[in-house]
Amino acid sequence: MPIEREQLEADVLIVGAGPAGLSCALHLANLIKKYNASGAKPELSTENIYVLEKGRELGAHQLSGAIMNPKALAELVPDFEKSAPLDTPVTDSAALLFTQRSSYRFPITPPPFNNKGNYVISLSKLVKWMGALVEAAGVNIFKEFGGAELIHDRMGIAGVITEDKGLDKNGKPKDNYTPGYELRAKVTVLAEGPRGSLTKQLVAKQKLDNINPQTYGIGIKELWDVQPGKIPPGYVAHTLGWPLSSKMYGGGWIYGLSNNRVSLGLVIALEYADPRFDPHAAFQTWKTHPFVSDLLHGGKLVRYGAKSLPYGGWYAMPRNYVDGGLIIGDSGSFLDSQRLKGVHLAMKSGMLAAETIFEALKSADTSAKTLRLYQDKISNSYIKEEMWKVRNFHQSFHNGLLDGFVLSGLQQITGGHGIVDPMHAEPGYKAYQQTHGRPAPERFKGDGKLTFDRLTDVYHSGTRHEEDQPCHLKVSDLNICSTRCAEEYGNPCQYFCPAAVYEMAKESDRIRLKISAANCVHCKTCDIADPYQIIDWTVPEGGGGPNYEGM
Amino acid sequence: MNIIVCIKQVPAKDAPLSITGNWIKESDIGFEMNEPDSYALEEALRLKEKHGGQVTVLSLGPERVKQTVKEALAKGADRGIHVADDNFAQLDPLGAAKVLAAAIGKEQFDLLLTGLQSDDHGFGQTGVLLAGLLNLPHATIIMQIDVQDGKMKLKRELEAGWFQRIECPLPAVLSIQSGINKVRYATLKGIMAAKKKEIATITRESLGVNVDPTQKIEKIYVPTKTKKTEFLTGTPKEAAAKLVEKLKFEARVI
Amino acid sequence: MKILVVTEQRQDKWNNTSFETLVAAQQIAAATSSQVSAVVIGKGVASLADELAGKNVAEVLLVENNLLENYTADGYCTALKQVIESAKPDLVLFPHSYQVRDFAPKLAAMLGKGMVGDCVGFRKEGDKLVFVRQMFQGKTAADVTFTSAGPWFASFQSGAFRADLLEAHAGGKASINAVKIELKPEDIRTKPLELFKEAKSAVDLTQAPLIVAIGRGIKAPENIAQAEAVAKALGGEIAASRPICDEGWLPMERQIGSSGQTVAPKLYLALGISGAIQHVVGMKGSRTIVAVNKDQNAPIFEIADYGIVGDIFEVMPALTEELQKAKG
Repeated sequence: MPIEREQLEADVLIVGAGPAGLSCALHLANLIKKYNASGAKPELSTENIYVLEKGRELGAHQLSGAIMNPKALAELVPDFEKSAPLDTPVTDSAALLFTQRSSYRFPITPPPFNNKGNYVISLSKLVKWMGALVEAAGVNIFKEFGGAELIHDRMGIAGVITEDKGLDKNGKPKDNYTPGYELRAKVTVLAEGPRGSLTKQLVAKQKLDNINPQTYGIGIKELWDVQPGKIPPGYVAHTLGWPLSSKMYGGGWIYGLSNNRVSLGLVIALEYADPRFDPHAAFQTWKTHPFVSDLLHGGKLVRYGAKSLPYGGWYAMPRNYVDGGLIIGDSGSFLDSQRLKGVHLAMKSGMLAAETIFEALKSADTSAKTLRLYQDKISNSYIKEEMWKVRNFHQSFHNGLLDGFVLSGLQQITGGHGIVDPMHAEPGYKAYQQTHGRPAPERFKGDGKLTFDRLTDVYHSGTRHEEDQPCHLKVSDLNICSTRCAEEYGNPCQYFCPAAVYEMAKESDRIRLKISAANCVHCKTCDIADPYQIIDWTVPEGGGGPNYEGM
Repeated sequence: MNIIVCIKQVPAKDAPLSITGNWIKESDIGFEMNEPDSYALEEALRLKEKHGGQVTVLSLGPERVKQTVKEALAKGADRGIHVADDNFAQLDPLGAAKVLAAAIGKEQFDLLLTGLQSDDHGFGQTGVLLAGLLNLPHATIIMQIDVQDGKMKLKRELEAGWFQRIECPLPAVLSIQSGINKVRYATLKGIMAAKKKEIATITRESLGVNVDPTQKIEKIYVPTKTKKTEFLTGTPKEAAAKLVEKLKFEARVI
Repeated sequence: MKILVVTEQRQDKWNNTSFETLVAAQQIAAATSSQVSAVVIGKGVASLADELAGKNVAEVLLVENNLLENYTADGYCTALKQVIESAKPDLVLFPHSYQVRDFAPKLAAMLGKGMVGDCVGFRKEGDKLVFVRQMFQGKTAADVTFTSAGPWFASFQSGAFRADLLEAHAGGKASINAVKIELKPEDIRTKPLELFKEAKSAVDLTQAPLIVAIGRGIKAPENIAQAEAVAKALGGEIAASRPICDEGWLPMERQIGSSGQTVAPKLYLALGISGAIQHVVGMKGSRTIVAVNKDQNAPIFEIADYGIVGDIFEVMPALTEELQKAKG
């Protein structure tokens, strides 16, 4: 029986209140204000801009190291230095090579890791601050609402359906059942972060994939309060080497914030061969390195989080405009994977989208014909400038670090061309090698003081969901989990999920997938890394998810 | 029916608590509507749907509590009153109730609702004290409200599975039991409409209430376990016997 | 100091927590060289007063009135205000019952005083009397002192003191003094109607003084009966960690933990529970924690007062038997 949904119409609908979505909203609101003030007719309204945010609060789902290049923020909010919550400017950039027992600092920090002029920030705090500016400009931000489904419209999108609320575990309406809204908009902007669920739908339906599919890494982060004097604020280090093998693409980070707070973590490309590799365990192991354990000694874990990040680069960016739709930020893979910088690119992409939408609204034409202006703007901006230079960077590491350094070195002196241009890449899950009956590794336990098991860590992510709701992780064929996947890959979901959501439980004669959806931290790793691509991450009831406040 | 609902904004349930003296560090944590109060609000909204009228929400605290008032407005409350007080966390139950009573002052209402207690202080006295200060009849731990002919028939919860019905005139003050209804979601239209609804701000000072405290929280702390775990050894039967003996004579819980 | 304990009865049956409060009063009295009196309020409750007179109290005040036969907030407040004004206690104590929550704060306010409710204990610090209560749903404790002149009002949480420690009167009986109070029908604005019992649709574990909780160690739903037997022998409620409720083996309202109930009973018996932080935050405020687990390194042992490293399927039946012996 078709559900009766309340219909609402907006000029612009932005799905996701992260740095990209909010930059789009704020820039567009500013453009509209100036336009109206100039006496132009017909007037446009900032109140017809809707932003949807699935988190409980603005910033609740924002996770990043983070080091921010301020150039985009400077354009968006010229006096940002006075009011933006930037924790500390970077004072020292170190590149470290870890072996099991020692660390070596590169005498000259390689340029990609040199962060002079940038700021160490809490992305969550920044987003919260931006949100206040956006609301002050009259834009409607709806917290605790997610985009569940796209309203497709021939070659493009006409809007979004928000998630149904008040359904019980079995999908039956409860007392407070409120069906999702049919939100139609002239332009819908997908700003869902890495591996957005609506973006995934759109890319598949309209075949927007570039020559390379989008590929991802996983970032696992902890925020610690440490003993005074251990690390100066603004000290920024990136580590390579132990405990990751030379075949793995990834590394650690350590950022010193003010008040003896430290952001640290590990990023690993989701393209590794061993399907039972455990990124969370690798991160915990990395913390036992003397450099890190010394830093954390006597300290206290404050918060934990995990999120995927789009590593694919320029050739993996999907076409980002359709009739009535634009893709911005991490959803569109706007990330410089060499420098690990995405915040300013996300913001710039949002601003360019805003300028595009502004033109489209003025000319009352929101078709792809007008919206392709977005792609042109990107090509003429520093987004292309920065990303073009590293367009083959990530792909160079396909065969390991050594190859990667050589190839990327060559790319460096050939403006990014290197030996082969474009370098192709495959989706990460294709890298898995079958387990061939090898025994499963022992699960990491943690000592409870320096290192933690996933359940303890996930508790510190503050994640919670309405308990009585349908499971938001849709696995299209559970039989595969019990049979093929168990034999061929040893059920990697148990290992790659940083939130202990997936577990294979023994039942009399078989094993069965058990999903603890309430632990989900919305990182999207499962959607990305499952070898059969049968896991679909969908939006749970709004408000659910992690609480990365202050992260 | 004109209904006033007192709502408290409390630290989010999962917020890491950083204790400083007799309160906690408020920076870097989230705040939310006190869950027991959300049931009171829901009850008020249902009564309004049934009998017509208006729902006013009242909240005491620093500027940030306006967010919680807005959430109540988004769910369907008609207007809000914010009593501004940066030092709210230090008020004792009687002081807080006196301030609320003064703010309610000249409001005309049929019913004043509160939740049972707050998730932070957990005093559980506000509703009862308000009734005393406003000289109104009251009842607590209310599960059901039936309004007919200007008075109410209430179902009140007692211990051990007992309940009682009470007849109560209007106007009155009721403390609502938690979990008695399924709290509604704010709708998109509700959120947008909330932007246009009035939130009156009164400062606590302007009310001229004497809030000299009758009690003081000297400090709060995480209770530490002073004992080490005592392991009881032997066969299961022996260990069980030892345990029961310990529970009876040492811990004295059975 | 003069301590007055307001006891509670309904339909001539004691609310036994009244005795716990008397114990609290006796302990405070011992620490402060004070005297304890008790109040019995109602109608036709002379026999209850007589029973109290056999306990170690200085006197029993009997407050009877037709209008006090059934509890009403107005009736009790009006009557007790007069009692307190005449008896002039320095400290008035109550059990923290549903009924006390309904009137005691208001009674204190009528006398211009404040009440410290739901205390779990007290301490003497020098010449200061410090009351301890819980905040943040049991995550923290709070030390509270009175800053105004008396009378002070406080209530104690059920189970904070042991009723069976109540001392009998040393040689004889306390005097029972009837207190005359003025109470008119128009003083009482609410009308109490029928009292009835209902099978509660949901169990409230936060009110259970004794809890037996099971975790993954129980392995299968058929085994829960063994844990239920322990609970029955103990006289406690059955509860569970999250995985058990997720599987549907026990209803969600039996779940203890960050996404379930937070409890602080007198006794928490954790069977086959590992002690993941999500569970522990829901029960670490329990007064006595016992853990049974076959893994000696299970985190639950870090917060347990007593531990048994063993197979729960052997320990459970043994425990049931020992508990039956102890109770019987």
